[in-house]
Amino acid sequence: MIEFKDVRASYERSLPILKGVSFAIRDGEFVAFAGTNGAGKSTAMRLVNGLLKPDAGEVLIDGVPTTALRTSELARRVGFLFQNPDRQICCSTVREELLFGFRALGAADADAEARVDAVIEEFGFAPDDDPFLLNRGARQLLALASVAVLEPSVLVLDEPTTGLDFRECEKVMGIVRGIHARGATVVMVCHDMEVVADYAKRCIVMSDGRVVADGPVFEVLRDHAVLGRASLVPPQIVDISLVLAAESPRLAGTPVARANTVEEMVEAVAAEAGRAGAGAGEVAGEAGVAAAGGAAGEGARRGHCASVRASKSRRVP
Amino acid sequence: MSSFLEYVPGDSMLHRLNPVAKLGAAALFAVACFCSGSLAFLAVLLAAGFLLAASCGMVRQTLGLARAVLAFSLVLAVVQLLTTPAGAQLAPLPWGYIGTGGLLAALTTVVRLVAAAIPLFLVFYATKLNDLTNAAVKVLRVPYRYAFAFTSTVRFIPVFMNDMKGIMEAQTARGVEFDTGGMVKKARLMVPLCVPLLVSSVRKTNSAAIAAEVRGFNLRTVDSGYKGYPLAVRDVAALAACALLVAVSVALGAAG
Repeated sequence: MIEFKDVRASYERSLPILKGVSFAIRDGEFVAFAGTNGAGKSTAMRLVNGLLKPDAGEVLIDGVPTTALRTSELARRVGFLFQNPDRQICCSTVREELLFGFRALGAADADAEARVDAVIEEFGFAPDDDPFLLNRGARQLLALASVAVLEPSVLVLDEPTTGLDFRECEKVMGIVRGIHARGATVVMVCHDMEVVADYAKRCIVMSDGRVVADGPVFEVLRDHAVLGRASLVPPQIVDISLVLAAESPRLAGTPVARANTVEEMVEAVAAEAGRAGAGAGEVAGEAGVAAAGGAAGEGARRGHCASVRASKSRRVP
Repeated sequence: MSSFLEYVPGDSMLHRLNPVAKLGAAALFAVACFCSGSLAFLAVLLAAGFLLAASCGMVRQTLGLARAVLAFSLVLAVVQLLTTPAGAQLAPLPWGYIGTGGLLAALTTVVRLVAAAIPLFLVFYATKLNDLTNAAVKVLRVPYRYAFAFTSTVRFIPVFMNDMKGIMEAQTARGVEFDTGGMVKKARLMVPLCVPLLVSSVRKTNSAAIAAEVRGFNLRTVDSGYKGYPLAVRDVAALAACALLVAVSVALGAAG
């Protein structure tokens, strides 16, 4: 359990970055932090693993204040993936890199070797490769693997998909999803709202050092007023669902389309709209076009089963 | 807040001096520090350095710098203390003794190094690196590529320091205990960090070189800059004052 209680933080006691932040993350949650640069997301993450201590308030990890623990002690519970993998990688082979964390914690035994072998297998690494000669995506994956191999109960990711192409992003996030499925708490800072929508279950939006929204991802993403304050744009799939709900209240709260490709998506939405009547048919056409060019299309290309759930909350401006 | 060796804007006398005059005067000041063994004279020079820092509102930066130089000079002082058996014996050693002469020499070394460093570093805090480069090219006729290489080296110091801080944080987050143990343990832990720092610095240097190249770096000549850097009366006065310090220092040294 991670708890922030009215936390205020700054760098070297100069400019205040966090201005009274409170939230709690339960074990096993997958939480995304969103917001503009300078909103305080990364600062909040650095408070979680003790790299930064609060000026006021408390950050508790499993009920223990981070001020009572050294960062190296927190490393056993909290794994931290930095945005830039090159700051993390320091060994001459992939295998050495994966063992480095165990050595730092004084736990490089036979069990550690076995776990390293398992991770090499899972991630598909060549153990003797030079990490610095890998491409950017592979280095990010190695940095993630070197954190995951320690099996921390909390995994903190600071913009894990920055600088990655689509395929690399999918691979990194797929592995993160697997780690979460095995019971780890995942806390992620992410600017890509598609990734947030695809993977996170809860979203905390920050602006100017404060939490401005906190709730299930879909609830947060459909609130344009809050997202506007944080200069965020929701994925198009959210807008599609809002348009459908506004035009066809009968569909509110029910899945209206389920598809694996863009074409299936367009057909499914159009068919459902046809059943709903002529008015909604126009909406479905618009939705289909939007889906083909936007988020739903992206989701479909990823091979995910994209679905549109009509929302009854409000119409898209 | 400025970082190490980063320009701090201001309108002090030091800020207004010609960049070349500042550099020349600081170099002369350093020479004066090394020409004399008089602890009293060096203490005066040290005080002058702090006064100069106060005049341009950089006492905080100067104290930080003095602490860093002090740490380095203390190592030299200890070596000197252990290897210069002079004066009255204070403590015996298997190979000699620690004496009052050695103690005085060690103290002189510390004061000398701190006093010599302060004006040199203040030059960087009170001068835009572009001005320093351009003035070196225009006034001293240094080829642009060498002037650029010198100022780029200085410019990269805070960048690399920031990189090192980030790398240390990343390793701390993996469980490396930089916050415990003695100097030897910390030094041993720092060794693996040199690899990512080296890789990052080579990548950055390469990127900077390419960026400079594509913006016509090799086409630049003495006449490329429009801004002139003529020496004013105050610049000549500053250089003359520092030259006088060298003369006094040499005279004191000769007098024993």
